[in-house]
Amino acid sequence: MADAAAHDHARPGFFTRWFMSTNHKDIGILYLFTAGVLGFVSVAFTVFMRLELMEPGVQYMCMEGVSLAAAAVENCTPNGHMWNVLITGHGILMMFFVVIPALFGGFGNYFMPLMIGAPDMAFPRMNNLSFWMYVAGSSLAVCSLIAPGGNDQLGSGVGWVLYAPLSTGEGGVSMDFAIFAVHMSGASSILGAINMITTFLNMRAPGMTLHKTPLFAWSIFVTAFLILLSLPVLAGAITMLLTDRNFGTTFFEASGGGDPILYQHLLWFFGHPEVYMIIVPGFGIVSHVISTFSKKPIFGYLPMVYAMVAIGALGFVVWAHHMYTVGLSLTQQSYFMLATMVIAVPTGIKIFSWIATMWGGSVSFKTPMLFAMGFLFLFTVGGVTGIVLSQAGVDRAYHDTYYVVAHFHYVMSLGAVFCIFAGIYYWIGKMSGRQYPEWAGKLHFWSMFIGANLTFFPQHFLGRQGMPRRYIDYPEQFAYWNEISSYGAFLSFASFLFFIGILFYTIKYGKKIEDNAYWGEHAETLEWTLPNPPPEHTFETLPTQDMWDKGAH
Amino acid sequence: MAKTTTINQAEAQASAFFIATNRDDTPLFDHTVHPIKSLPNTGFVWIIGISAVSFTLPLLTLLGTKALWMLLPHLLLALGLLWYFIRRNDRDRDIFEHIRIWSDLIAVHRHNPRKPDQYWHGNPYWIKLKLRDTRSHESYLTMTGSEREIELGAFLSPKERVDLKHTIEDALRNLNQRKPT
Repeated sequence: MADAAAHDHARPGFFTRWFMSTNHKDIGILYLFTAGVLGFVSVAFTVFMRLELMEPGVQYMCMEGVSLAAAAVENCTPNGHMWNVLITGHGILMMFFVVIPALFGGFGNYFMPLMIGAPDMAFPRMNNLSFWMYVAGSSLAVCSLIAPGGNDQLGSGVGWVLYAPLSTGEGGVSMDFAIFAVHMSGASSILGAINMITTFLNMRAPGMTLHKTPLFAWSIFVTAFLILLSLPVLAGAITMLLTDRNFGTTFFEASGGGDPILYQHLLWFFGHPEVYMIIVPGFGIVSHVISTFSKKPIFGYLPMVYAMVAIGALGFVVWAHHMYTVGLSLTQQSYFMLATMVIAVPTGIKIFSWIATMWGGSVSFKTPMLFAMGFLFLFTVGGVTGIVLSQAGVDRAYHDTYYVVAHFHYVMSLGAVFCIFAGIYYWIGKMSGRQYPEWAGKLHFWSMFIGANLTFFPQHFLGRQGMPRRYIDYPEQFAYWNEISSYGAFLSFASFLFFIGILFYTIKYGKKIEDNAYWGEHAETLEWTLPNPPPEHTFETLPTQDMWDKGAH
Repeated sequence: MAKTTTINQAEAQASAFFIATNRDDTPLFDHTVHPIKSLPNTGFVWIIGISAVSFTLPLLTLLGTKALWMLLPHLLLALGLLWYFIRRNDRDRDIFEHIRIWSDLIAVHRHNPRKPDQYWHGNPYWIKLKLRDTRSHESYLTMTGSEREIELGAFLSPKERVDLKHTIEDALRNLNQRKPT
């Protein structure tokens, strides 16, 4: 009877550990690396696209063949289909397979259970299933790029939103691959979300009430709820696409009594919460980073929590601001305009609370803090252009121009991706047991900050000049800012390559760190009570309240 | 407990337990220990309620269209999965130990998630409670008596186990003081 304790089993072998893992920390790392690989593919697409856009005329994507060396314009027949495929691939990969898996799947899996003092996720084997469904989905997405598609070429070029009737009319099986890819990733995300929700609700440490749970754990919970509530709608919508394509239904086919605008409504009912799923975990990471490096508890913990909840809730009632120009009634437009602007209130609460956290603090500008502050500044810029775009009247001019591209890349590429890097630099010592070289992190930050701004700020000007999105070519009046933007993209890509170098250097040769809380005493969530890297099993003995409750967050 | 006991032994222990505890006098000490559960039942109702209400938003707008029937199964499936998995997790942690002490009997009934219940009883006079630190459990609490050593409150936090030991010891001490009467 038993001393049931004292079980000490051998560390699993490589294959068992990484391919059959049910350990939330290992699965988190798998998510991060897979998202990183897909992110590289997706970024490589954009670099090629920026190369094409650097000069007016088409020099690289020719019907005669694709090359990295510029062809003379007269020898090149523009391959618009290929352009569309790259746009679509970049969008689908980034939206479904890179940013959410990195922030929610990667950091969420690794750190949410640690922060609430749970020994693992509620359903470890389902966690494994979620990860491998995500891998299957991303493989389908990559296959769709090289499967026979529309225009008798490979891949489908319909945009990541898969708008009907473009997507229902696209030839080949490529489109079906893309739809299955989104189905797979959706199923994976829903299972993952239920796992996170159950873990968060049921497995918090003794004494950790909802109003004492760390902000990152809260952000993962809010994100999980957004996924749970919106992805089934997307699943329904793309199932209808599938039957429209293959079984002769006419849900989105006007000639059969269907309505193509219905697809847009359904897509954006999912799509708008989707952008919050991308950014909300970032909010969580940034809160901890700013508090740690300002050496102060976060300002306004409860308003921060409820701002995230409010952003999540409002995210469900603003979707049609993506479709002001489809012929909505004036009343509908007024409502969606007003509701959209209301989101600025909780977002403002968060921005000002972060600033107030830094205010009067002893701020140390380590790399994670630089990325967090970079996020703060750039996300605010993206938010302000969002307010500009939220006005239905103004949107008449800006719709489908580069102004929109600049806006959403400021919130996504500069906002969410900066959060990912902040998280990596903040926690890489915890996850690997080795610390990155500080100078290299700073060099990465500054080259990426300058590069990304150089890429996207000029796109505001292009949008105001009237340059439309999604074209392979443009009149030479737009040439100046396009060239600058391309230089920025190359600089950002160089910084990304440098980051990959930093990553592998750190994992292999980085300085070993002994101190559990190596960022100092103001990193006070539970993961900082564990060694670097944490042992395979953590918190089998529940943590006590004095380990995490330092009176404030 | 009772890792090594066979099914027959377990059955014998159970029937002996029920014979011993089938008595009319109320126990002098009656205590049940639960692991902490951070989601109360009202919380479960709120979660399912909020999800269900949120799901009606896209559905209401599609009332009277065929598209409703393509959406509905997905939404119901998601809601059903959420319900099932939270409840499943509740069942996974549905574990308690019921400790009762009479002047001449101490009985422990342990309810396990998806495994048969376990029973133990002995004479309180011979009971020994022991706390020690093992590799995986800080302040691991065991009780010895009637030839079997059982663990108590393995699902509790270390501090709660120390408290449990004191509670049981107090009860046993009261028992001893009561003896002369």
